[in-house]
Amino acid sequence: MLKMFTSPRPELGQAKKNTVLVSHGRPPWYGEDGHRISDSYVIGIAGGSGSGKTHVARQIVKALGSIPSVVILSQDSFYKKHTPEQLVLAHASAFDFDHPDSIDMPLFAECLSQLKSCQQANIPVYSFKTHQREDEGRYLYGATIIITEGIMALQDPGLRELYDLKLFVQCDSDLMLARRLKRDVAERGRTVNGILEQYLRYVKPAYDNFVLPSQRHADIIVPGSNNAVAIDIISTHIRRQLQERSNSFRPKMAMPHLFPSISGKTVQDLNLTVLPQTPQLQGIFTILRSRTTSRQDFIFFVDRLSTVVMEHALRYLPFAPYTVTTPLELPFTGKVMDAKYVCGVSILRSGGALERGFRRVLHDVPMGSLLVQSNDHDGEPLLLHVMLPVCLRDRRTSGDAYVFLLDAQIGTGAAAFMAVRILLDHGVKPEHIIFVTFLVAKGGGISVLRRAFPQIKIVTAGVDDIMEEGWLDGLEEGEGRQVWAMMPGFGQMGDRYYL
Amino acid sequence: MTTPVAPPQPATNQSQMNPLPPSVFTLPQTAQLEALYTIIRSKDTSRGDFLFYSDRIIRLLVEEGLNHLPVVKKVVETPTGATYQGVGFEGKICGVSILRAGEAMEAGLREVCRSVRIGKILIQRDEETALPKLFYSKFPQDIASRYVLLLDPMLATGGSAMKAVEVLIEHGVPEDRIIFINLISSPEGLRTFCTKYPQLKVITGWIDLGLNDKAYIIPGLGDFGERRYCE
Repeated sequence: MLKMFTSPRPELGQAKKNTVLVSHGRPPWYGEDGHRISDSYVIGIAGGSGSGKTHVARQIVKALGSIPSVVILSQDSFYKKHTPEQLVLAHASAFDFDHPDSIDMPLFAECLSQLKSCQQANIPVYSFKTHQREDEGRYLYGATIIITEGIMALQDPGLRELYDLKLFVQCDSDLMLARRLKRDVAERGRTVNGILEQYLRYVKPAYDNFVLPSQRHADIIVPGSNNAVAIDIISTHIRRQLQERSNSFRPKMAMPHLFPSISGKTVQDLNLTVLPQTPQLQGIFTILRSRTTSRQDFIFFVDRLSTVVMEHALRYLPFAPYTVTTPLELPFTGKVMDAKYVCGVSILRSGGALERGFRRVLHDVPMGSLLVQSNDHDGEPLLLHVMLPVCLRDRRTSGDAYVFLLDAQIGTGAAAFMAVRILLDHGVKPEHIIFVTFLVAKGGGISVLRRAFPQIKIVTAGVDDIMEEGWLDGLEEGEGRQVWAMMPGFGQMGDRYYL
Repeated sequence: MTTPVAPPQPATNQSQMNPLPPSVFTLPQTAQLEALYTIIRSKDTSRGDFLFYSDRIIRLLVEEGLNHLPVVKKVVETPTGATYQGVGFEGKICGVSILRAGEAMEAGLREVCRSVRIGKILIQRDEETALPKLFYSKFPQDIASRYVLLLDPMLATGGSAMKAVEVLIEHGVPEDRIIFINLISSPEGLRTFCTKYPQLKVITGWIDLGLNDKAYIIPGLGDFGERRYCE
């Protein structure tokens, strides 16, 4: 079943354009050193108007079936911003939308290149109603496969360089015209005469002069109808390519949970910021660690601890001098928080346990979330949901943002690793990431996390020594899900806080 | 491989009292704390922000105050089956707020100490003698066996706080079992208070310049109760 990073849910096989679709979650796309191990796979589909490009794209998505995440990018989004004169022409159906010059190719290539290198992109939104680019862009992130479709998709050399596979959908002109007539009358409320006039004046010449010649760049020519065999061959090819990539990268993948070291690194080695172990903090930990603590007490003390650890973490924001006047009309030169954007991102589910504390100290900043779950058979982390604050979606603002990343503990470090990578993909500076947590296992994945991301700040309330291998409750060894537990730890934080 | 953790930015405003009396404890003077005080000191701060940011400081003060209470060794079993050598909280506590500004600190206290008992004292200036006078008090019956967190946001001359301590001692609370928590102190007030009650611990968030001729703390933040409740 396909699921999108953004709602609403599309029909299977009717993959919505310009939306990232996810089936079973996205596995790690980075190595143990924190760097990206492979680019996204990019497919370009060109062909005449009405040749069936979108159909081919959707059929490929459908045929691939269980794929991590995919986006179909439409060339239509990249029509240039029009001048007032052009707008008049456009409304009078006298503007040539079929000429390559009508497309903002540099922007198209920039967005595609961002997506290919696993960064977010904010693609423009073009309205056919107003014939103009809208002010708000559309945020896209996290596609493993990108399918670009449009009549000029193979036109621009800059774009062509980005494709891993280039397709051209070949179709007879009469069939294309027939489809176009049917569609424009039904969906765009146009008259037959208007459509034919536009066809002869713009569509046909553009096809002959630009679109058709671009087919020589294609790797595969796909028939525009009765193409089930072609699609089967193409999707088999794509699957094999993805499999080969995945096989060759697998040994390099970041799976810190496979390498828990008992060799206790010191807090200094790991560059952890540990809260002063005051009597109250020790008392709170004792309550949280005890298996006999009531649910009521557990929740209360988690909330109290999260407030304390958040207060501590906030010290690492930048501050600048600032003078105010007190009610006695006297000046006081103090400080003001000197960060342009501050936000939180919690790693669900257990990061939610820190949200109460977060809200007690930062009541007016946005709070995003990431859902990372580990896969049942090998514990590999899978990204299921991304909902980031607006300031992180755009690279023009994310560089100025400070992000508090929340998770209850860093054990294997797998989810933390993925979350940090997502923030870096979005252009957040590593030194602006403040990871806030209750407990870190020194012998766990923290060393891998620290090696990959030396600049992030990690603020923790406490430190445990080791991780021990275990099996999930009530299951025979060998049958159930293998888990790593922190020792002595406080058990499954998410379960104890929420269930 | 890794660089040592950079310390948080320090506050530029250093304490006005050096050295501090041995019974006085302040919060770590970080830029972050200074920024909180800058917000609540500004006369342009809205009531909503004043409430929110003064609550943050109060929680920090209460957390610090509780650290002066005793704990005992305690061993527990964790859900993973391991044993953990921890500590348990020892001794009963109660809050006592000096009306009416002290009441503003009760919400913060209860966020940290759920369902804690809270006594109240009303002390006002006697117009005839110009001395602080007890008008009203209501305490838990067993207050003599409890640690008392005495709450009053501003320590100016220290007159009403000292009167409150006097009343508590009359009710059988030993001096060294009282912890006085306030947001801002004047150096004069602190000196007088600590000289009279050297055993009593004072947790203060910030020590200001001094008092003006009307005995208001300067630069201060105005009338805490007024800003919290009435403006």
